[in-house]
Amino acid sequence: MFDSVQSVINDLGNLGYICDKRIATVVFLAQELDKPILIEGPAGVGKTELAKVVARSLGRELIRLQCYEGLDEAKALYEWEYSKQLLYTQILKDKVSETIAGAGSLTEAADRVGAEDSVFFSSRFIVPRPLMQAITAEKPTMLLIDEVDKSDPEFEAFLLEILSDFQVTIPEIGTIEATSQPLVFLTSNDAREMSDALKRRCLHLWIDYPTEELEIKILDSRVPNIAKQLAEEVVAMMQKIRALDLKKTPSISETLDWARALMALNADSIEEEVVNDTLNVILKYEGDVAKAQSELSKLIQKKAPAPEPSNPVASKPDPKASKKGILH
Amino acid sequence: MQQRIIEFTNLLRKSGIRVSVAEGIDAFMALDVLSIEDRVVFRDALRASMVKRGDEIATFDELFDLYWSGFYDNLRDSFGNLGDQMGDMGLDLDSLLAQMAEMMEGMDGNVDLGELAKALLTQDLAALENMIREAAEQAGTDRIENMLQVGFFSRRTNEQLDLDGAGGELEALAEKLAGMGMGSDEIEGIRQMIKKLLENMRRSVKNFVERELQTRNHDYMEKFRKEMLQEKSFYHLTEEEITRMREVVNRLAQRIKNVLSVRKKRIKRGKLDLHQTLRRNMARGGIPFEVIYKHRRKDRPKLVILCDVSSSVANVSRFMLQFMYGLQEAFTKIRSYVFVSDLGEVTSVFKDADVNTAIEQALDGGDVINVYTRSNFGKAFHDFWKDHLSSIDNRTTVIVLGDARNNYNDPMAWCLRDVHNKAKNVVWLNPESPSAWGFGDSVMDRYAPYCDRVEECRNLRQLSKIVDDVML
Repeated sequence: MFDSVQSVINDLGNLGYICDKRIATVVFLAQELDKPILIEGPAGVGKTELAKVVARSLGRELIRLQCYEGLDEAKALYEWEYSKQLLYTQILKDKVSETIAGAGSLTEAADRVGAEDSVFFSSRFIVPRPLMQAITAEKPTMLLIDEVDKSDPEFEAFLLEILSDFQVTIPEIGTIEATSQPLVFLTSNDAREMSDALKRRCLHLWIDYPTEELEIKILDSRVPNIAKQLAEEVVAMMQKIRALDLKKTPSISETLDWARALMALNADSIEEEVVNDTLNVILKYEGDVAKAQSELSKLIQKKAPAPEPSNPVASKPDPKASKKGILH
Repeated sequence: MQQRIIEFTNLLRKSGIRVSVAEGIDAFMALDVLSIEDRVVFRDALRASMVKRGDEIATFDELFDLYWSGFYDNLRDSFGNLGDQMGDMGLDLDSLLAQMAEMMEGMDGNVDLGELAKALLTQDLAALENMIREAAEQAGTDRIENMLQVGFFSRRTNEQLDLDGAGGELEALAEKLAGMGMGSDEIEGIRQMIKKLLENMRRSVKNFVERELQTRNHDYMEKFRKEMLQEKSFYHLTEEEITRMREVVNRLAQRIKNVLSVRKKRIKRGKLDLHQTLRRNMARGGIPFEVIYKHRRKDRPKLVILCDVSSSVANVSRFMLQFMYGLQEAFTKIRSYVFVSDLGEVTSVFKDADVNTAIEQALDGGDVINVYTRSNFGKAFHDFWKDHLSSIDNRTTVIVLGDARNNYNDPMAWCLRDVHNKAKNVVWLNPESPSAWGFGDSVMDRYAPYCDRVEECRNLRQLSKIVDDVML
């Protein structure tokens, strides 16, 4: 359990997830109010990671439901295990004959079988899927419904029922109530807007690209042994690349990858050549790489550091560079 | 506090953020479990429970600052530098006040000051804030709608406060002090101070009313402009409006796409698919436990777009193309051609570049045609008939976009007739109003018989309606 907003920040920080107050507040609220969180934001800013870390920090089992187009109840909630039922019928054939032995009429035989049909429609033959697992688990769990925007609108409607009542109705068996209420996180990449009904039931958390300061902290905690100078340069560069008009804006995961790549190449500061070689780590489209490359010399010049006053570029007053100076 | 939060919720609603009652309750519950001392936490709690859309966050933040950032700070700013102001005039505020207090002590029961005058004299900002709020409420400031009313409502608030009365009282006090033998320099100083106090108060009231206006009408103009854009004729768009329009077009396309996915699902279940059912149930000895249905597939149309890119209709073509490519997934294939007099295919431009750049290129002729000639629909259609007729089959919807102003050239309507015979649909979108069709050099009447539909399309609303009706 988290005691306060600050304790969320600390606990998650201990597990290597650096978050700001905004994220912590919402997580804390979700726990206190027993409400699901809908996490939105660009890809790769750590939406799924947040859920994982929270689960670890609370010591809850993480049950993950990955959404995709065509996901239906059978795959999300429960399914009858037909083959097992069939197998059992075959094996128990003799027993069935025994039961109906001596029945005077067909109706009577059917009645006798009917009296036993709960054997075949019992929880024995149900395959629980993530949603059911989450609400029938003995200990409170953490349910992560990942990329809910990929699912169909019908599935969304079906989710509503689960999220508001935390119970499942199986026609043949009855209603199964949650033994414990799971903490629910939904993530969405905004591929499609979720319905108002779903949004209304959730707290909303928008995770955006991190600020420079926060990103350096994240880099520090995620990439051990990174030199401070390199971390700062990488982050400053990333912030500038994000300002470009790209098809796919690189996010935190790319920053981490890039920092690791640069470290593997033993680069201790960013130079045009190294950057050129590793640009495809952060940019996933040919066009983006080309665009970044054409802007690259500008970007690198902009961050041309003051230590070399002889550098003619640095002597020019550069608004961006001086702004960076203030930030540090 | 409760009242304030409810009021804030109403403000959000007024600015176009939909906050349901349940969400309002959530906000209250959230504040129950959190300490509201930390401003950031307070803001985040409200935001998480009431704002559910990424693009509304900016609005929320602005409103939050306007509404919750204390008016108190503002008051402090304007009253805080009173000492400095007096200092500039060579007066020492503190000693003056001390002297006053001393003398007033002697007067005991005789001082007759109202609440406001007292608060002003002691600079009790909290009390002042409350008084201003109350008075403003009674003056009906929450009904303020535009800048012109600031003066009016400030005056009414001042009247409610009875600021003039308080001024009179203070003036009388100064008289009295003078009568009790205070030095004339000091009296002059006190008069100056009273003047300053009243001035500051007036300014604060005006400031309060202005803030009120900002909060109430935040986003009002913005919303208004967006709605206007949908109705606005493509002919008269400024550069800035074109950029803004892009966003609106995208949103419309997105909305249609959402509706579309629901529509597709609805027609999904069809007849029993025997083959699939047998295959799927093989594991169960062929007993059909699981039944599979054939999906009835709605044809996704193929599109052929012919865009007139002469300057007179370039804007319509621009949004038409953006709209279509925004809906790309809804079609199996889009081929686009541009023409003025010659016709050229620009499909490949859209493959290589992102939509917006591609559109700009296409409007420039896409390196394949000369856009600086006079429109000749006949020639363009003949070109199409000659080279590209084979690209049309019975699943193709052909969209022609142009004003059909042919500069008295041969319309060659038979080319369009042949296209019409082969295609599933021919839709003509004309940015001119129907009354102008067929007059002057317009040959719309010659082409109309070979079109399944001819529609006027001069603004975004019409465009989206046609796309929805005809093509999807």
